[in-house]
Amino acid sequence: MYFIKTKKFLLIGDSEICVKLERKSMTCRKMNIVKIVKPEAPFDVRVIYREAANDFVVTFNTSHLRKKYVKELMHEVAYRQEKKENNWMHVNLSSTKLMLLQRNLQPDAMYEIKVRSIPDTNYFEGFWSEWSPSFHFRTPETSIRGQMDPVALTISILSFFSVALVVILACVLWKKRIKPMVWPSLPDHKKTLEQLCKKPKKNLNVSFNPESFLDCQIHKVDGIQARDEAEGFLQDPLPSQPEESEKRRLREGMQGPNWPSEHPVFTPKTFIGESPFRCLAGNISVCDAPVLPSSRSPDCREGGKNGPLVHQDLLLGPGTTNSTLPSPFPFQSGILTLNPAAQGQPTLTSLGSSQEEAYVTMSSFYQNQ
Amino acid sequence: MFHVSFRYIFGIPPLILVLLPVASSDCDIGGKDGRVYQNVLMISIDDLDSMIDFDSNCLNNESNFFKKHSCGDNKEASFLYRAARKLKQFPKMNNSEDFNFHLSRVSQGTLQLLNCSSKVKGRKPPSLGEAQPTKNLEENKSVKEQKKLNDLCFLKILLQKIKTCWNKILRGAKEH
Repeated sequence: MYFIKTKKFLLIGDSEICVKLERKSMTCRKMNIVKIVKPEAPFDVRVIYREAANDFVVTFNTSHLRKKYVKELMHEVAYRQEKKENNWMHVNLSSTKLMLLQRNLQPDAMYEIKVRSIPDTNYFEGFWSEWSPSFHFRTPETSIRGQMDPVALTISILSFFSVALVVILACVLWKKRIKPMVWPSLPDHKKTLEQLCKKPKKNLNVSFNPESFLDCQIHKVDGIQARDEAEGFLQDPLPSQPEESEKRRLREGMQGPNWPSEHPVFTPKTFIGESPFRCLAGNISVCDAPVLPSSRSPDCREGGKNGPLVHQDLLLGPGTTNSTLPSPFPFQSGILTLNPAAQGQPTLTSLGSSQEEAYVTMSSFYQNQ
Repeated sequence: MFHVSFRYIFGIPPLILVLLPVASSDCDIGGKDGRVYQNVLMISIDDLDSMIDFDSNCLNNESNFFKKHSCGDNKEASFLYRAARKLKQFPKMNNSEDFNFHLSRVSQGTLQLLNCSSKVKGRKPPSLGEAQPTKNLEENKSVKEQKKLNDLCFLKILLQKIKTCWNKILRGAKEH
């Protein structure tokens, strides 16, 4: 192999090269030397890892960058994992810088990389140069690849726990707190009435369950007679008896499955002493209503049908046509006939006249619904 | 009527034959794609231009060569041919090796791309300048230096003209 170093080649068209070996005849050959160019091998191959970008920057140098004629080259970068022989990956580029993504490489592995060049086919053509010296580098481990920003990690953990806490609280407090607020249930008249009567008073027993009053002295009420004699009640504790038609209406207003037919008269004094319904407020203002005795024996079974009517009839008592209506306590002049013998029986009879009347009215209304 | 026909038969065709050489080009040029010029010739022309360092007065020097020859339409190839032949005279000025190397590349490279008729080839290449009668040694020395400066100035302008003509050829090739 002989080398000729000269600047006399025209680089345009064919050139003639002649060789004379010792005493042999000269041998000449015509060729276009711009078509048989072999570039010089690249050198200084380096690989730098960028943690922020998760990639490897490959750079190399070539002497043709400073040449005048053959300065446009095509480079080929080849890399492989050292364990896997003959498994080279190839990348072509025209510049001297290449980026390899970390996700395309195996973590915690040794890699070998090298570069070679060939003239660009614009004017000069030829052959591949020799390979550059290999460069070895190791890829980082997986833990570094999956390492997150500590601030982001803390925020993600806190948000996860807060979401879990909210879910648990929602499940626990769903029935008691959340559902009544989001989907309130329809009010129940009995429960509403119980709540209204709930006051911290001694000897106060509010319930629609007759069994809760087993230990109480219950006096059955045979009939209620409404009278427009609020003042007269205070003066004359035994007013005159109402008319027959009114008594019948009142009888219909009474409600009770076991209503006795004949009962003695109940005095107001006794009633007031045992009345537990003084707490009733609002429309049911019968707690403190005084009671007038009556010999009527109402029929409680028919009371459920005409509950509202009875209520109105009570308002319009026998003396209401000639006197003003009492307000706001329409039941103040009501007359109750109670049966002391019915004490302890689990019936719907109440202790107070107006109290029971309100109870009966609401019960009948509830049953009608 | 007979005289009129003779005029058209024997008068006009010879006139056309005489005028044709004036309108046609004497040379054909290869490498119009620009690869040879951009990868070889332009590099040498730029190197020669950087080696020649003159003042701006050099640009005002109008030579007879440029008065006679210009890169006109359809005359680009013949101009380049005459310019390349002119460049062959400059290696005799005993310049540096690289200077002579680039000069020969531009001149020989251009001539290799051109294919001119024998009519153009047969013309004697114009000389650089006329010989001046010498009086004494000192005057000869100054005259020689002045002549060298003038030649280099002429060379600089010639190289610029060659570059402009090549750009015109490549521009015309792109348009077509």
